[in-house]
Amino acid sequence: MQKAFLVDGSICLGCNTCAMACKNQYHQDTGILWRKVREVGAEDYLIDNNNILPTLVSYQKAPKVTMPIERFYFSLACNHCENPACVAICPVGAHTKDPETGICKHDQTICIGCGGCVKACPFGASKFNAKMGQAEKCSMCWERQADGKTTACVQACPVGAIAIIDLHDPKYKELGTSAPVGIDYAINAETKPSTRFIHPHMPKEIYRQPKG
Amino acid sequence: MSYSKEKVDTLLHNGISRRNFLKGLAASGVLSSFPGGLLEANEDLNTKIPYLGEKSYETFRNACPRNCYDTCSIKTFVKDGVMQFIEGAQESTYTRGGCCVKGNSYVKRVYSARRLKYPMLQVGGKGSGQWKRISWDDAMEIIAKKLLEIKKDDGTMLGAALTKYSGNFGITHYGIEGMFNSIGYTTRLAGTPCWPAGIDAQNLDMGNMWCNDPEEMKDSKFIILWGVNPASNSVHSMKYIYEAKKKGAKVVVIDPVFTEMASKSSQYIQIKTGTDGLLALGMQKIIIDAKLHDQKWLDANSKGFKELKEYLDKDIKLDDVSKVTGIPLEMIKELALSFAKAKPATIWMGYGMQRHTNGGSMIRAIDALVAVTGNVGKYAGGARYGHLSTWGFNYAALSMPKPEGSVGYTGPEGAKGEFAHGGGGEKAAYTDRFLNINKTARELLNSKGPKVRLLWVACKNPFSQDFDRNQLIRAFKQLDMVVVADQFFNETAKWADIVLPVATQFEENDVNVSYWHYWLSLNEQAIKPIFEVKSDVQIAALLSKHMNKLEKGSCTFPQSVDTKEMTIKEFNPGIYAQFGIKSWEELKHGPVKAKAVIPYADGKFQTPSGKYEFYSEKALELFGSALPKYLEVRKPYDKFRMTSPHSRWSLHSQFQNLEWMEDVHPEPSVYINPDDAKMKMVNEGDTVAVFNKQGLLRLKAKITDNVQPGTVLMYEQWYNNNIYNVNELVDDTSSDMGAFKTGAPGVALHDTFVNFRKI
Repeated sequence: MQKAFLVDGSICLGCNTCAMACKNQYHQDTGILWRKVREVGAEDYLIDNNNILPTLVSYQKAPKVTMPIERFYFSLACNHCENPACVAICPVGAHTKDPETGICKHDQTICIGCGGCVKACPFGASKFNAKMGQAEKCSMCWERQADGKTTACVQACPVGAIAIIDLHDPKYKELGTSAPVGIDYAINAETKPSTRFIHPHMPKEIYRQPKG
Repeated sequence: MSYSKEKVDTLLHNGISRRNFLKGLAASGVLSSFPGGLLEANEDLNTKIPYLGEKSYETFRNACPRNCYDTCSIKTFVKDGVMQFIEGAQESTYTRGGCCVKGNSYVKRVYSARRLKYPMLQVGGKGSGQWKRISWDDAMEIIAKKLLEIKKDDGTMLGAALTKYSGNFGITHYGIEGMFNSIGYTTRLAGTPCWPAGIDAQNLDMGNMWCNDPEEMKDSKFIILWGVNPASNSVHSMKYIYEAKKKGAKVVVIDPVFTEMASKSSQYIQIKTGTDGLLALGMQKIIIDAKLHDQKWLDANSKGFKELKEYLDKDIKLDDVSKVTGIPLEMIKELALSFAKAKPATIWMGYGMQRHTNGGSMIRAIDALVAVTGNVGKYAGGARYGHLSTWGFNYAALSMPKPEGSVGYTGPEGAKGEFAHGGGGEKAAYTDRFLNINKTARELLNSKGPKVRLLWVACKNPFSQDFDRNQLIRAFKQLDMVVVADQFFNETAKWADIVLPVATQFEENDVNVSYWHYWLSLNEQAIKPIFEVKSDVQIAALLSKHMNKLEKGSCTFPQSVDTKEMTIKEFNPGIYAQFGIKSWEELKHGPVKAKAVIPYADGKFQTPSGKYEFYSEKALELFGSALPKYLEVRKPYDKFRMTSPHSRWSLHSQFQNLEWMEDVHPEPSVYINPDDAKMKMVNEGDTVAVFNKQGLLRLKAKITDNVQPGTVLMYEQWYNNNIYNVNELVDDTSSDMGAFKTGAPGVALHDTFVNFRKI
């Protein structure tokens, strides 16, 4: 099994409810968001000040799209990679990949705050909490899932734009793509990110007032 | 998830204790400038909180009491007396398990270091920034003495004024009005800055404001979202719109702005601002000419269709409609005909559209379009605006008798606001005095016989939300005393003499309903009030205690109250029958929904004729036009139109100030069309000054064709760390309607004009 987020950009409102629901559940420090709603066409990881530039995987620019600002989005957290860089680099085993669910978990009681995962993750999923001197990231609410609930983000999304799927389940095979449009992203990263995307589109008919 | 056990233990056992939060606090004495800044709390609560399993928490039922369509039903998870997290109630099909971005910030709101914690006295005078912490007893004694002094000097309490609006729509919060009822005849800032023109319009047409259940929209075949942006401001309605769309319904957005909703529609039609009424009239003409109107329904249920048709035939020229609205005639025809052919079809009208000098007339015109096509009184149809049909509570907290011998106002009595209910049956010799809430500054400055000397501000942030700010400062400064009851140290608090810290809904009991959906939620006290905060009715009780101590019988409000008992008193058999419950206690198991009723399906309208009134004598009498005639919008008085819609990050002046919200939306921007930006040589990210006769703002520009040429857009929000306030540019010009049902006309907020330049 490989649990994964399916992110539907065609219905995502960009309302940030998912990001805030994550804060509501885990009370991330000011300035830290485990889940971030990223705007299509405006994305630039270089200005994500909670991410130290990646070293293991080089960026590949996403296809350029021209969409109106502040209207189309992808909600992103940890991609729970099949081949996670954080797990590979962590010297103390604070990052683990759950063999049953495929969830990449981070255990802060073990974390020594070396920052390796923050640098290694091509997606900036691991955040460094300077106040605590430790890393932190989305662990797909595995405790909530173990308790029979879904993740905080999935439960809170008002339109169902995020879902949890099993990538190894054949029925999800054709669902979504691993390449989001218009956001600067490490497509085809060796870590094999599990998140899948449904692309947004403009309304079929649009009329705007003529100039002047 | 792992966590530092030690830290969490500290949190759970001491997390909200005074000790932890008081670190760094100079507990008494004069604090300079900004109390919130000095009361820097230990941010233990910001550490990672582990999820411990559902059984580890105590859960409580809560509701979001904000001025919002969605009025979410909330489930709150508490451990050892500390609120851990919230979820939307699963029982409500509307909330469906999740609150919005704002609701999900509630834990931070409750425990924010920026919260008001103690009663404070501005010892250096209003605006001086010289604050001193005082006790509740001292605060209430000062206020009680001032009130009694006013009564002694004037022989009446009319010198005491209350301004309260939508900060908390919980039913027991009408106890604030109850507090003012209980001290005598007083002055009230009446009316509503929100939606009054539309309320009047719907009442003139249908004798009520009563929308269909939003959940029905999933079965609508054609939806026009007219000047409404649920993708931003009613996110829980979106699932029904998406479902309808998925089933093949056409979702059309008519809006001057390419909104979040427009980006998710089937068709977006950009219209010139303030011409929506004319478009609706043009569409009716096309529909009637094509004989697609519902003659049978109109014959049975309407009054004045003949007059309407005559007006359309004679005065509405389709070429003019196209020219004025800026929309090609073919597109209007196609829209009109496809809307008329789809059954059921519905139109949802936003509140922004009626914040124009012709706002009420536009809502009337769109109502008429829905009626002409026979979509009024139909499942999944309707001219949707809002409703108050589930608000039939006792208003026990509001209904306080006047003290014996009270003397009041003898002028004509008007309506008191859209939510005003109860308050005794017999016609009294005196009434309260009502001033226009939308002209607060000049009303306070001009009040005579007697002059207003004390102003109590509750559930309202006038300096953020009201207009004519320079006058407002003058108005506040000349008052003897301003009391502000709030949760945060906002701009209004800066111009107060006394600030009182108010409880959040998690620290009190209440009951909540929506003006949009049909759910009823209990709000239980989930945690003990932190610091010295009190709920509004407890403040009223304390005031009563002090007033009666100084002068027995001077205040009839109970001298001690329990918010739970007050909540129980609000229920009655009517509410129980409407919601199909036997007791309020059933709500502890989750919210319940009112029994389904299709508004006006029985063909009964509470208009004078008992029918839908295209031709309304009442409208003729009050507003000079019986028919929903086209009225031109306010003429520009500066180069660019400015529109100031609601942001998704805030509910008026609430939420944007929270630390968590700053993480997802840090600063305001002005949105400028590329053509206009080019002309003014403004580039993306430039700081620009936006100015007009009222004031000037400096902020960063974003260049986008989401706004049409000639229009700039800024959201109305209150930031904690930014002086930005869009209402500094807005004057207090009235909209056409509102006085009929809410006591005062609305404000033509979106008829503001500005200029801008690069700095």
